Amino acid sequence: MNSVRAGRRVASPARQIKTVHCLLAAALMASPLLAQSAREIVQTSQDRTRANSEHYEGVLTVIDSHGKTTTKRWIYDRIGSFGNSKAILRFTDPPEVKGVALLIINHPDRASDQWMWRPAIERDTRVALQDRSTRFFGTGFSFEDLEERDVDQFDYALLNQESMDGAPCWKIVATPKQAKSSQYTRTFLWIRKDNYVLAMMQGWSKNRMTRSIHYTNIARVQDIWTARRLEVWDAERRSTTVLTLDKLQYNTPMREQDFTVEALRRLG
Amino acid sequence: MKPTTLLILLSASISAAFAQQEFTQRGFIESYNQFYPDTVPIDRSNIVSDELFREDMNFKLTPNLQINAAFDGRFDSHQQVERTASLDFWDRGLQRPAMSIRDLNLVYTKGRFTATLGKQFIRWGKSDILNPTDRFAPHDFLTLTDDYFLGVTAARFMYDTGKDSIDAIVQPWFTPSRTPLLNQRWTPLPPDTWSDLYANYGSAYPGRASFGVRWNHTGSAAEYSFNYYDGFDNLPLYNVLPAPSPDVFGLQRFFPELREMGGDLAVPMHWATIKGEIANFSSSDKRSDQYVLYVLQLQRQIKEWNLVGGYAGEVVYDSRSPFFFSPERGYARSFLGRAGWTIDPRSDLSVQGIVKQNGRGGLLEATYSHTFGQHWRATVGYVMVRGDENDFIGQYRHNSHEIVSLRYSF
Repeated sequence: MNSVRAGRRVASPARQIKTVHCLLAAALMASPLLAQSAREIVQTSQDRTRANSEHYEGVLTVIDSHGKTTTKRWIYDRIGSFGNSKAILRFTDPPEVKGVALLIINHPDRASDQWMWRPAIERDTRVALQDRSTRFFGTGFSFEDLEERDVDQFDYALLNQESMDGAPCWKIVATPKQAKSSQYTRTFLWIRKDNYVLAMMQGWSKNRMTRSIHYTNIARVQDIWTARRLEVWDAERRSTTVLTLDKLQYNTPMREQDFTVEALRRLG
Repeated sequence: MKPTTLLILLSASISAAFAQQEFTQRGFIESYNQFYPDTVPIDRSNIVSDELFREDMNFKLTPNLQINAAFDGRFDSHQQVERTASLDFWDRGLQRPAMSIRDLNLVYTKGRFTATLGKQFIRWGKSDILNPTDRFAPHDFLTLTDDYFLGVTAARFMYDTGKDSIDAIVQPWFTPSRTPLLNQRWTPLPPDTWSDLYANYGSAYPGRASFGVRWNHTGSAAEYSFNYYDGFDNLPLYNVLPAPSPDVFGLQRFFPELREMGGDLAVPMHWATIKGEIANFSSSDKRSDQYVLYVLQLQRQIKEWNLVGGYAGEVVYDSRSPFFFSPERGYARSFLGRAGWTIDPRSDLSVQGIVKQNGRGGLLEATYSHTFGQHWRATVGYVMVRGDENDFIGQYRHNSHEIVSLRYSF
């Protein structure tokens, strides 16, 4: 396969976000063989991003429908295997939101658990499942977009082959097995054939495309192909969010005890 | 602990932290202004302006050891802030200190165990607006509608598995809530029957430590906790004592013993999150009421709206005290709710209301806030208070006011 040529591992940009994409797949009435192939592609894409931990500093530029720009920064740390990992995302800038943090506990068999810490009120609040379609702190990402889900939570179908940014891709549709577990009734994924990196994701709610994420600036980081620029289009608000991943590192030493609700408070 | 000792400790911590190159900080400068259309007999001011500087620091000395420290500097137009230049640590004054250590604590972690020693903020409970189980969280009630929390000096030990946590707290030094000043508008007493008739005999603080333990379980279907507290009410009752003159009585604040047993619950459903909290309060002090407070709420996010609404109830099964000041009891037997709307990444709107079930009191607060650039935030708002003079909320019916604030964060 092309992936073998490309390297041992393929990168997904911000894994958590990529996961979302991978997770969301709508099942079509395809033949069992095709469905299996689509799942395998997604599985391979996920497998190639495997790392014991991940760290990056994200710069977010949010451009609203009037063209006004807001910049935010966060630090992202993740520990554990894909779909069964824990992640903490902590804002570092602007000062107004500094210290606000989100803990994500991903589960292989269901949607993640999430807690938000707000230093201004010294309290953590759980983000309920029905709230996951909400935008995360004024960015184009919803809470759901920040979680990882195991490949088994979705049904997949391979639609066709399309080019994305000049690279041949498989176009796959994913549908959640549990209808209420996702804001997206179906998700279209473009996975590059050369390195199995997710190149584009489109989340649809019924017959309406609500969000897309375009993955670019793909590079090999510690043997993992990773997109270091994500451009989110929020169709409902007509806003764009660009996330740039700086200082990306995989397999850095991290501690389990720093990924709990208590740690949110302690490190807040 | 003397302020100089604290400063030495703080300086040593800062030096050590900088040596490790692990230092983060945040802070702000804020001008918070209130405009009261009505005057009251006890307080003829229409404008109250409060200026606050806050610096919040975190020093990570080693992967297992960190120090948190925060400093507040204040000034105001209304004598709610002391005019002395000393650095305060204990937060026991009737007025807000001009300079204070907001928190200063050492955090040690080892595996699943965390110990936090020093002045810190401890929050229990899951409901919004009213938290009956939040026993280690004294308030500043100088302006009732803008209350905020005070830190407590305590040792906190937590064992956390991720799903279950045990939280044990010892608070050797008592921190009272700060109640409205007797010569200002949030004490609704006519001046001619009050200000010349009493002598202030100060406060009698508890002579022993307070203790608390809480077990919290975080499950996929529900999150719940049980807690027990043995300590003192952070809101005072009053001893009436003989005074030198027969026309005057002496008034001394004291803090009755309090035992609280309670729990809280949050159940995320597909359509909303159910939140509840209940606490039973008892006391060995014959002058203190025994009662139950509970809160039941629903929370729902609809697009950019965050909605919380519910009911707060109170059952008094042994009424012993004819006079007390307790906002959490005063807000009970009410319907309460909050709606927050994130308009866009820079602006949001919040409306919070409390309406007594008998219709005799109500409070509505609406604020709009907008950020400018990376540092500035402006907030305007209106607080409307209505009701009968015999109702806890209604007695402040002349205290409706507008809010204008400007904050620079750094």
